[in-house]
Amino acid sequence: MKLKHLLIVCVAQVVLTWGHYDKHMGATLAAASATSANPAAAFDTSAPAIVTGVVRLDGPVPAGKSISMTKDPACMKMHPSGVTTEDVIAGSNGALTNVIVYVSEGLGDRTFDPSGNAVVIEQKGCRYRPHVLAMQAKQKLQIVNSDPTSHNIHPLPTNNQEWNKSQPPGQPPIEATFAREEIAIPVKCNEHPWMRAYIAVFKHPFFSVTGTDGRFELKNLPSGTYVVTAWQEKLGSVEQKLTIGAKETKTLDFVFKPRRSYGTASLQ
Amino acid sequence: MSLLKTTVIEMLGAILLTVLSGPLALAQEVRVGDLTENAKQGKEVYRRYCVGCHGQLGNGQGENAPHLDPKPRDFTAAVFKCRSTPTGSLPLDTDLFETIGRGIHASAMPSWYPLTRQERVNVVASVKGFSPRFHEEKPADPVPIPPEPPTASAGIARGKQLYKKLECWKCHGQEGRGDGPSASTLTDSKDRPIVPYDFTTGERFKCGQSNQDLYRIFMTGLDGTPMPSYLEDVTPDQAWDLVHFLRTLQVSPEKHMSLRDLVRRPSHVEEKLNR
Amino acid sequence: MKLFLDRHNLKSSFCRMGVLLALASACTPAYGIPAFARKYGLRCSACHEAWPKLNNFGQVFKDNGYQIMNDRDGPIWQNVSYFPVTFRITPQWHREDNNNMAIDHTAGVSTSGLVEAKVTTSGFDLSGLDMWTAGTLAKNISFLVLPSTDANGNFHFESAWIRFDNLLDSGWFNLKFGKHELDTPISEKRFLQLTASGGFFQLYHFTPTTDINSFGGIGNNQLGIELTGHSRNSYTRYALSLLSSNSGGVNLPTSQTYDIYANVNQAFELHNLGLQRVGVYAYWGQSPTYFLTSAGVPIPGTGSGSRPFYRAGTYGIWYIRKLDFSTLYMRGKDNVFLGTGTPFNQPAALPAGAHAPTWNGGFVETHYTWSPQLILVARYEAIRLSQQAFRIGTPLPSGVPLTRDFGNTDAVVFGYRWYPIMTSRAGLAWHQEYARVRIRHAAPVTGRDETTSSFLMGFDVDF
Repeated sequence: MKLKHLLIVCVAQVVLTWGHYDKHMGATLAAASATSANPAAAFDTSAPAIVTGVVRLDGPVPAGKSISMTKDPACMKMHPSGVTTEDVIAGSNGALTNVIVYVSEGLGDRTFDPSGNAVVIEQKGCRYRPHVLAMQAKQKLQIVNSDPTSHNIHPLPTNNQEWNKSQPPGQPPIEATFAREEIAIPVKCNEHPWMRAYIAVFKHPFFSVTGTDGRFELKNLPSGTYVVTAWQEKLGSVEQKLTIGAKETKTLDFVFKPRRSYGTASLQ
Repeated sequence: MSLLKTTVIEMLGAILLTVLSGPLALAQEVRVGDLTENAKQGKEVYRRYCVGCHGQLGNGQGENAPHLDPKPRDFTAAVFKCRSTPTGSLPLDTDLFETIGRGIHASAMPSWYPLTRQERVNVVASVKGFSPRFHEEKPADPVPIPPEPPTASAGIARGKQLYKKLECWKCHGQEGRGDGPSASTLTDSKDRPIVPYDFTTGERFKCGQSNQDLYRIFMTGLDGTPMPSYLEDVTPDQAWDLVHFLRTLQVSPEKHMSLRDLVRRPSHVEEKLNR
Repeated sequence: MKLFLDRHNLKSSFCRMGVLLALASACTPAYGIPAFARKYGLRCSACHEAWPKLNNFGQVFKDNGYQIMNDRDGPIWQNVSYFPVTFRITPQWHREDNNNMAIDHTAGVSTSGLVEAKVTTSGFDLSGLDMWTAGTLAKNISFLVLPSTDANGNFHFESAWIRFDNLLDSGWFNLKFGKHELDTPISEKRFLQLTASGGFFQLYHFTPTTDINSFGGIGNNQLGIELTGHSRNSYTRYALSLLSSNSGGVNLPTSQTYDIYANVNQAFELHNLGLQRVGVYAYWGQSPTYFLTSAGVPIPGTGSGSRPFYRAGTYGIWYIRKLDFSTLYMRGKDNVFLGTGTPFNQPAALPAGAHAPTWNGGFVETHYTWSPQLILVARYEAIRLSQQAFRIGTPLPSGVPLTRDFGNTDAVVFGYRWYPIMTSRAGLAWHQEYARVRIRHAAPVTGRDETTSSFLMGFDVDF
């Protein structure tokens, strides 16, 4: 009877010690198991399936707030008619831009090599282009400054290294990479407090960012049962389950409900 | 006593012990010079000296944290201002050791130099124990600091041009007073307001006071703050020019606060009033 | 619920202990001068091993003129509602024993003759109150004013000084002016005893019984100026004081002469055992042997015929992790006129066989700092006269002839302090202490040894 107590305590101790550092240890464990998994069981591109759809906002679209760029006249010059925030951008029928749609469950232990292509994020007109970017862990990221003014790129991850580099105008692109999955890393420029981007880092290549038509497309998906998640920076996440067979094309639409309040983004 | 009650109490004990011995759960190795750590003693040093500000869990939520500005460091994020390694990297053991000994000027972090060297090494182990990053990563190689060339007016002039070109004035201001156009809206990585360094106070920097320290500050960046790294933007020669120029900004009548200075207004305030 | 001692539950009793220990250590620890703790947001345990005993960080803070030296020490940087005051008082229960007190043979009848008996008093009581104020007036100008009362509320100034810190931009030159505690790393003011018998170092106040030396000992706060210096981490320290020969008494009660005190000490790290410190000190003073009088009444401040005396020795503070020892040796000598109470202008009145009284003494005090919230204390002290003032065999006031060991003192103290709360706002300690002092042949009637003992328990309150 007493030995049982001791065992329970020991197990609890171990569980809680692991649990205390769950996020990071989980990543380490996943990485460890991923590298030890059989690469031959990666994925079968011979019968790729496609999931496509539209992400919509069901409700009133919050108006963008006007941004004052007086802090930097060089920025102001590039926007003589003014700029508004881009937290929630929706078209006339509620189609949401900048929503990341991705497979969140169902890929099991499969590993995926990062694409050899670099993704590019540009500082143009004192804004990040694109505003929302999705990429794979360990994939190359190129940061370009196309403005006549200097910026500093300051990602604020919780599951990756935080860093902060200055990029004066005319400097070559900065190369960076993120080692671990994180959805999503906010990026800010301290000099221009209204500038904000989100970089989502995935372990796999099944993600898509919606354009102005609210449309996404997940290609080359192996057949199986998945949970597909849509993430928007202010509206949160919406999940849906999906089973797809080989060479199938399925449509999966997402609907976001508006929030009562969207908080105050740093604007000035 | 019932089995359920006993089990609940013992689970509670296990939880408390685990939470409170969190730093020990991942034992850290520390090496500074010829000294190595004693983690158990480090925990005692931490409890005696550090808990009040940095908190039991090392997350900067000590009881005094609400009253302090700048806020105490959150060790669980493993993001540190004063490093010799490039931005994004963990600090070296000696970085932590020296920061603890030197203290952080113009903040509530005292200089813990009065502690013995062994005590400081021990508490470095305790600090590292709060974040698993120290287990999972190694610090990058430190940024090399080449020998300092002699100060010359040509170098200072080049440094001044660099200050303009790199747009340091955006935050630090044209005269280095910390009053640049972007200064008033700066926030640190936890979205708390933060002010840029005012060179005209003539004070020590938060991460040192020598020219080498100044070189290191803008080459490694102060992680966790808006101060970025300029490692990829300047050559070492240019960096020394910038150091020599920045030192010229540090001349100020307030440098040595005497009684006389306390009773008269500082010169830059006089200027503003007379304008 | 069965507790720890049940054999059958031994395995799981560990876990139960764990709960209690975890809960205990989750309590916030306590600290010393809450005013400083409030100013800097540090807990007491940062400066005090177990308040009021200082650790080296606290010593450096004190040496810097109560400054952390982060350029935010001046009062202009503080919240305007901050005020540097701390109160300390100890409500207590205590018992005092005197083994050989002279009492009337028949209580109430003054002519019944004196006999010696054991007298005991006990009950709930109060200590005096310290209204401690200290801090900075401006950067590098520090102050301390300590009005202190006895248990009846009679005020005196225990300390009142101003100090100019870091002169010439160096920690080696600091000038203090006023009434202050002599620089003694083994400080009587910041030690951990409170009883009547154990609440002071015998050596810091000892003068032989018949001695008229007005010096109250190096444990008394003195009036004068003090020049001190220290290295950045206070591993090397020195102090040099010039003091009026009034033993800290105000209104110029004694004489116009001056005393000198000097103290030099050096600390060093010993492997990972902790910081060790050794030092030497010396007090050279003069005390008057007679006063000018008016109608037979001595006129204050006119002390004349001053004769010299000294107190000097070495000390060490030794750390073996959580166990530490404070050791001190003292040699004291008073001039023969002081020792015999003979006015200097009447040298013929010196009794035959009179000598300058000389004594050697020492103490060892040990502490075990279980945690910043629990400290155990023990001390043994001994004083041995190597030279009596009068000739051996001279009859004492009790009629008993003087022996070689008259006045020799032995003292022991045991105690502990437990600090249930420790925050950066206020402090509380539960204090228990037992002390016993034996003075050879000091019993007033029979010339037997006089033994006094104290037992105290109470709450030391600091806010």
